[in-house]
Amino acid sequence: MASSTSSSSNMPPTATHERLPMGLRLTAADRPGVAQPVPERDIPHQPWGRISLVVVILVLLLSSLWEWQMRRLELVPGDMSSSYDTWAKLRREVDRRDVPLLLIGDSRILYDTDLDRVQQLTGIRPIQLGIAGGTGLLVLEDIADDPHFKGLAVVGMAETSFFDNRFTVVRTREAIELSKKESPSKRASYQIQRVIGPGLAMLEEDYGLSTLVAHLDPHWRPGVRGPYDNVWKIGQLAPDGSARLWQRLEHDKRLNDHARTVWFELFPPFPIDDKSIQEILVRSKTAVDKIRARGGDVVFLRPPSGLDLGKVEYGHIPRARGWDPLLAYTHTKGVHADDLANAQNLNLPESSHLSHACAIVFTDAYIRSVTQLTPMLHLKPDAPPPLSTPDCVPPSAASLDQAPGKVNR
Amino acid sequence: MIFNSLVFVVFFAIVLILHSMPFSWRVKKINLLIASYIFYAAWNPPFVILLWLSTVVDWFAARGLAAAENPWKRRAWMMVSIVVSLGLLCYFKYGHFLLDNFAHMVSMAGFKYSPPKSSIILPIGISFYTFATMSYTLDIYLRRSAPARNFLDYALFVTFFPHLVAGPIMRPTELVPQFEVPHQATASQMRFGLALMTLGLFEKSVLADGFLGPVVDLVYNGRSAPGFIDAWMGTLAFSGQIFCDFAGYSITAIGAALCLGFALSDNFRFPYAAIGFTDFWRRWHITLSAWLRDYVYIPMGGNKRGNARTYFSLMATMLIGGLWHGASWTFVVWGGLHGLYLSVERMLRKPFRGYHPGPIAGAALGLLTFLFVNIAWVFFRAKTFPQAIVILRGMFGRNHHAEPILAAIYLITTTLIIGGLLLAHSLMRNKTLEMAIARLHPATLTALWTIMAFAVVIQHGESNGFIYFQF
Repeated sequence: MASSTSSSSNMPPTATHERLPMGLRLTAADRPGVAQPVPERDIPHQPWGRISLVVVILVLLLSSLWEWQMRRLELVPGDMSSSYDTWAKLRREVDRRDVPLLLIGDSRILYDTDLDRVQQLTGIRPIQLGIAGGTGLLVLEDIADDPHFKGLAVVGMAETSFFDNRFTVVRTREAIELSKKESPSKRASYQIQRVIGPGLAMLEEDYGLSTLVAHLDPHWRPGVRGPYDNVWKIGQLAPDGSARLWQRLEHDKRLNDHARTVWFELFPPFPIDDKSIQEILVRSKTAVDKIRARGGDVVFLRPPSGLDLGKVEYGHIPRARGWDPLLAYTHTKGVHADDLANAQNLNLPESSHLSHACAIVFTDAYIRSVTQLTPMLHLKPDAPPPLSTPDCVPPSAASLDQAPGKVNR
Repeated sequence: MIFNSLVFVVFFAIVLILHSMPFSWRVKKINLLIASYIFYAAWNPPFVILLWLSTVVDWFAARGLAAAENPWKRRAWMMVSIVVSLGLLCYFKYGHFLLDNFAHMVSMAGFKYSPPKSSIILPIGISFYTFATMSYTLDIYLRRSAPARNFLDYALFVTFFPHLVAGPIMRPTELVPQFEVPHQATASQMRFGLALMTLGLFEKSVLADGFLGPVVDLVYNGRSAPGFIDAWMGTLAFSGQIFCDFAGYSITAIGAALCLGFALSDNFRFPYAAIGFTDFWRRWHITLSAWLRDYVYIPMGGNKRGNARTYFSLMATMLIGGLWHGASWTFVVWGGLHGLYLSVERMLRKPFRGYHPGPIAGAALGLLTFLFVNIAWVFFRAKTFPQAIVILRGMFGRNHHAEPILAAIYLITTTLIIGGLLLAHSLMRNKTLEMAIARLHPATLTALWTIMAFAVVIQHGESNGFIYFQF
C-alpha cells in the first residue's frame, strides 16, 4: 500500500540527506514516513560451529577453575546468604501455617542461633527471620500486623541496630517488600538456584567479579570511604533458614580484622537521644500488644558482643538506657547474654558474632532460659543436657581472650 | 521475566526446543504466543489483561479502519485506538503525575486540594507495547500498510517476547510478514544469536550493573554534593550505564529473536561516536526516535511549513519523547534540552552549509556532542531538580569544599570502561557489528566471546531489572 506521507522533502529531525557510508545498513532512522520493511540481519562469515564449540569448552573449563578457587576460599555450595529470597520464602510460611516459634532480629540472632539445637531442646524447628544488616523492630511490626501469627516471637536486638535504625531499616524494608511482592519470575529463579546451588560455591555475590575488583583498593584516594570498607561476607545461610558465621571467618585473621574495623566505622559513637529511644519503645510496645492480643507472646534477646565492640555499644546505650527500659515499657521478659551463666566468655571471632560451636552453646543457654520465662515454649523431656562455655572454647583460650574483664554496662 | 535471570535461561531453552520440534507453523506460533504471555506474566500476572486489551482493541480498530471509506469513520476508529491506548498509558504511567500537577496548580490558584493516595503500579513495558500497537493502527490509518491477515500473526507481533517489554519498538510491517511464513534459525543464526545474547548480557550484567551502576548510585544517591571529578565521573558512568543497560537489552533481544529465526530492527548504532545531535538521534534508540518522527513530527508538519513550525514541531516532539521516558518534569527537561540542541544545530546548519569536518575537527565535534549529551543525562538520572542542580554545580566546579565521594578503584574502572566505549564507538562509527565481527580472526572472536561469557558467569549476583523497563 502506498504511503500517503512519504514525501522525501518532509525530512524529520533525525533524517539527513547524506548517503550511508559503505558497510552500514539502513535502519528506521533512514526511512522517514514510510512503512518499515522486514529488517535485515546478516550473519558474519565465520566458522561459527567450531568457534561456539571452543567457547563452550573454554567457559566450562574456566568456570570449573573458578569454582575450585572459590571452594579453596571456603565458600560453601548452596549458601543462600546473598539475597533475601530465602527470608521472603520463610516469611511467607508464617502466613501459611501455625508457627509456634519465630526468631526475629538482626545478624546476631541469625548467626548466633543453631536451629538444630533449638529442635533438639524443644522439638520445634523455629522459623528464622533474622536479617543480616537489618533490624528486628520492622519485622516485629510486620509480624504484629499479620493476623496469622499467634506463636512466640523471640526478638534479637543489638542497641546499634534496634535503637539507631537509620542504616538497618533499608535492608529490612527490602526483605519485607520482597516477601509481599516477589514476582513469579523471581520465585522461579530462586527455585532454580536451590536446585543448582548445592553444587556451586561460585554463586556467592560477595565474590562476584566487580566486587572482587572493587575490594582491590585499600584507600588509594584519601578521604574516601570506598568499597573496601563495606561489610564483606559474614555468614552462611541454608535454604531452611539455618545460618552461621562464615566458617572462614573463624580462623582467617585478615578477614576478622577487616570485619572488626568495619563494625567500628559502621557504628561510630552515635548521638541517640532519649526522644528517639522513646519512639522505638512505643513502637515496640504497640507491636508486642498486638501479638499478645491474638494469644501470642514476645521475648527479647540480647546476644553477646565482643569486649571491644561491646564497649562502643554500651558506651552509648547502656543497659539502663536501652535494654532495661525496653523490657519495662513493653512489659516483656528478656534474655540478656550477660545473664546466662553457662554462656559467658564465648568466642566471637570478629567481635560481633559467635563461632558456630559457641552459637550452639549460646542457643542452648538462651532457649533454656526462654522456656522458664514463657509457658509458650517447653523443653522436651528427653532434651539433651545443658552445654556451657568449655564445650566450645578451651578453658585456656577463654581465660586469655577475656582477661581484661567485663565491660562496664 | 528478565533476560539476566536463571528462569529466563530455562524458559528460553524450553522455547528453543519447542520451536525446533516438527510441529506445524501454526502450532509453533501458538507456542511462541503462549511463551510470550508467560514471559510477561512472570512479572505480574494480572497485567496480562492490559496487554490483551491493548491487543484486541487495536485489532478491531484496525479492521474498522481498513473497512471504512468515509474519512469520519476512519478518524473515529483511529480515535478509538488512540483513546484506549493512550488512556491506559496515561492512567497507569501518568496518573500520579497529572494529579500531583493538578493539585499544585489548584493550590497556586488559592484552593487546597490533596489528591487521593492510590497505589497504581506501572505495568512493565507499557510504553513499548502501546507504541507498537499504536503503530499498527496508525500505519493503516496513514495507508502505509494493510491489516494483518490473521489475529495470531498480529497478536504475536504485539507480544513476541524478545521485544515486548523494552523494544526495539517494532512496526507491524517489520514483524508480521515474518510470522506469515515458517521461520527456523539455521545453525549459524542460532550460534550468532547466542553470541549476540552473550554480548548483550555482558554489557548489562558486567558493565552496567557490576561496574558502572554502583558509581552512579554513589554520586546521584549520595548525601553530599560531589566535586568536579566525582560529578563528572558519576555522570560519565551513567552515560555508560544507560547505554550498556539498554543497548545490552536490545542486542540480547535481537540475539534471542535470531535464535528463533526472526530479525529485529537495529536500535543503536554506536551513538557515542555521533557528530552532532541529529546524528546522535539517528544512532540512539533508533526505533523510538523513528516512531516519534513518523507519528508525531511529520504529522505536526515536519519541516514543510516554515521555520517557526519546524522548530515548534521539533521541540514538541522532543518534549513528548522526554515525557515518554517517565512521568517527571526532569525527563521533560531532558527532552527539552535535546530539542534545544537539535534546534541550535539546525540554525547553525545554514551558515555552515557545505562544511565537512576533517578527522581532528570531527573528533572534537564528537567529543563536544558527547559532552552536551552528558549534561542532558544529568536530568535523566536525577530524581529531582535540586539533585540535578547539585550535580551540575559539581560538574562546573561550583561545589566548593566538596568531600571526595568515589574511591580510586571506581575512578579507574569508570575511566577504562567509558574510554573503551568511546574508542569502540569511534572505531565502529561507520560499520555494523556484523561487519566488524566478520573481519575478526576466528581466534580473536573466540577469545572475546569466551571472556565475555566467563565474565557474565563470574559476575552473576542479584539480577537487576533493566532501566528501560520502567519506561
